[in-house]
Amino acid sequence: MNDTLQVALREIKSGFRNPWAYSFLLLFTIFSISLLMIHSQSFMEGYTGATGSMLNLILYLLPLMTLFLGSFSLTSEKEDGNWQLLSTYPLSTLSFITGKYIGLAAMLLAIVCFGYGIMGVVGVITGHPFGLLTYYLFVVFSIGLVLLFLAVAMVVGSCCSNRWQALTVSVSLWFFAVIGWNSLLIGFLGWLPYVWIKPVLVALTILNPAELVRLFVIIKLGGGSVLGPSYYRWVDWIEQPGGSYIFAGVCLVWIIASIGLVYWIWERGRTRG
Amino acid sequence: MIGCGWPVKYFKVSRDNRDCKDNRVRSFLLLVFLLSAGVVAPVHFNYASAAPDQSSSPIPLQKIIDGTAPGEEAVLPEGVYEGPVVIKKKLKLRGEGEVTLVNRIPSPAVQIQAEGVEVYGIRIDQLEAGESAAVKVVGDDVRLERLTINTRGYGIMLRDSDNGIIRQNEITWKGNVDTPSDNKGNGIDLYNSHRNRIEENQVTRVRDGIYIENSKMTQITGNVVSQSRYGIHCMYADGALIRGNQGEYNYTGAMIMGVNDSRVIGNTFRLQSSNVNAQGILLYDVHRSVVTGNQAEGNRVGIYVDLSTDNQIDRNYLQRNFLGLQLNKSKNNRFQGNSFIANVLDAVASGSENNRMNGNYWDSFKGLDPDKDGTSDVPYAINPFYQQLIESNSAYQLFFQSPGMIFLSDLHMSDTQSWLTDQGPGMKPNSGSVREGAMNYQGAVLAAGIVMMLGAIYIIRLGVKRHE
Repeated sequence: MNDTLQVALREIKSGFRNPWAYSFLLLFTIFSISLLMIHSQSFMEGYTGATGSMLNLILYLLPLMTLFLGSFSLTSEKEDGNWQLLSTYPLSTLSFITGKYIGLAAMLLAIVCFGYGIMGVVGVITGHPFGLLTYYLFVVFSIGLVLLFLAVAMVVGSCCSNRWQALTVSVSLWFFAVIGWNSLLIGFLGWLPYVWIKPVLVALTILNPAELVRLFVIIKLGGGSVLGPSYYRWVDWIEQPGGSYIFAGVCLVWIIASIGLVYWIWERGRTRG
Repeated sequence: MIGCGWPVKYFKVSRDNRDCKDNRVRSFLLLVFLLSAGVVAPVHFNYASAAPDQSSSPIPLQKIIDGTAPGEEAVLPEGVYEGPVVIKKKLKLRGEGEVTLVNRIPSPAVQIQAEGVEVYGIRIDQLEAGESAAVKVVGDDVRLERLTINTRGYGIMLRDSDNGIIRQNEITWKGNVDTPSDNKGNGIDLYNSHRNRIEENQVTRVRDGIYIENSKMTQITGNVVSQSRYGIHCMYADGALIRGNQGEYNYTGAMIMGVNDSRVIGNTFRLQSSNVNAQGILLYDVHRSVVTGNQAEGNRVGIYVDLSTDNQIDRNYLQRNFLGLQLNKSKNNRFQGNSFIANVLDAVASGSENNRMNGNYWDSFKGLDPDKDGTSDVPYAINPFYQQLIESNSAYQLFFQSPGMIFLSDLHMSDTQSWLTDQGPGMKPNSGSVREGAMNYQGAVLAAGIVMMLGAIYIIRLGVKRHE
């Protein structure tokens, strides 16, 4: 446990000595202020067209940011030779991986919280505050995105041998999960028998962190009806307080599975040299 | 004043004609009798002592009515009365306290066949299922007020009755909960009855809350209808005024069919999406009517306009409906100043031409207003791509407003001439729909913001701190 914390602390230190972290911090802070400006023009709390646009903007930026920072951190361990050195220490691979995850998560959440913190304070000062629920759900949405995409980024970082590879794979994954998701799915599902479409779509949605978190937040913002009668039962589940635990459980399974995969990859590399 | 006719024990009658000497003599003798018996009795009748024992058999109400002279008021003390009754003369019937009229046979509990009859404050249990109503009126100028009606058939039925007032009644269908709506009766049902006023009634679990057919100039105001098939159903009801009513959990809020020159103003119809054909307001074959200031929230379709012409549909507030506005074969209607907020689909139209649409607020559209006149200089053409996609399979609704969907819709830009277009969309929703709730909990938002900032700064400092 102590090893894990040491690795996490080391990760935070190296993270905030990296100029990337500060450029993203600045970018996200400016971005939050822009969200506040969009919000000040909307006329209703809860899920509206403006809220949807803001969620989409976050969806463009945060996953990409997370994928970059997360995957680069792991590939740099290999490129700089740190991992080769650490492998000679009595440090378990699991401690190393979980430490990396916790450290990176802390760093990314610090960036996100800084941006949202400024957004909340400036909103109140300028007289255009977010409603508490909307604000809270935006933070949850962003944290969810960061934690899930960080898990993906760890897998990417483990599979790639250098930063360039990680960059290419990260951008492809981001494009697939965020921009091209609908087009690809509509194309793919069109080949399936009609009755299979819904179950397959739901299964694939759970596998895409961007969609999973987006739909959860839409429903919690009271926009569940937009999903229509096909998903009434789902919406009912998530709307009740227990729905948040179910969501948290799904996220946890996601993260643990990814870390398990990352552990397997690194352990394999360690034993085979 | 104590009345004549039926034994005084059961009721009190007041009368207008002042020369009823018999009555006065009887009153005097009774007063002397009560005082001499040591009973403290007020000059007015003592209801407590007169109230019949609840456990005793029901009192036949018809005899009381028969004993009431035309133009008199019969005041019924607490108790259970036996129906059915037929009122064939002008009189007032008023319940004091808990007055219940029970009818066990399949004819109306109260049948009014005279003009100017008034009934107040009675609970009516119509126990027999079928087509019969708890109250059936076949006479003009009738007033029914504060009645509590539990029925297994219809509630209040008016036939060829003009100028009536039906106010503050509570009508509930009390049959088997699994009965389909089509097998129930209507709450308030008018046929060939003109210039009636239906005000502030509450109707629950019936077929149609308020059903008006072939009846002109009806005023339907401030009623609440829930868990029924249609809240308000008007057929061939020219000149109707439907104002300030509320509907919840009905299949359709207001169904207006075959109507000219009517007004639908300031009604609220919510949460009616449970049925696949549910609508907030449906206008079918409606002409020269005004639909303004209504709210339709959480319906499958907010406002559905079918085969209707020359209507003015403005300043309505359509929120969180699956489809805000649907137009079918409707022409020359004007849509102005409506607010469309968080609807899955803003509006769709088929076979509808020459409808004027401008100044509506669409929250899914961001306009530009350089001249600050409150309307966007950029028109809003509603892209039908998403509608066509989910028509092919509703499972795709999961893609609602996802980033990729917006991207795909933008690629689909052919045949834009046929798209429904708001020429000058409004920049703000209409009044009464301003942002709520945001100003609450400002302190909490501020505190959360500060805590998050401090937390972030702590972690950043942890990172940049030199080794101890």
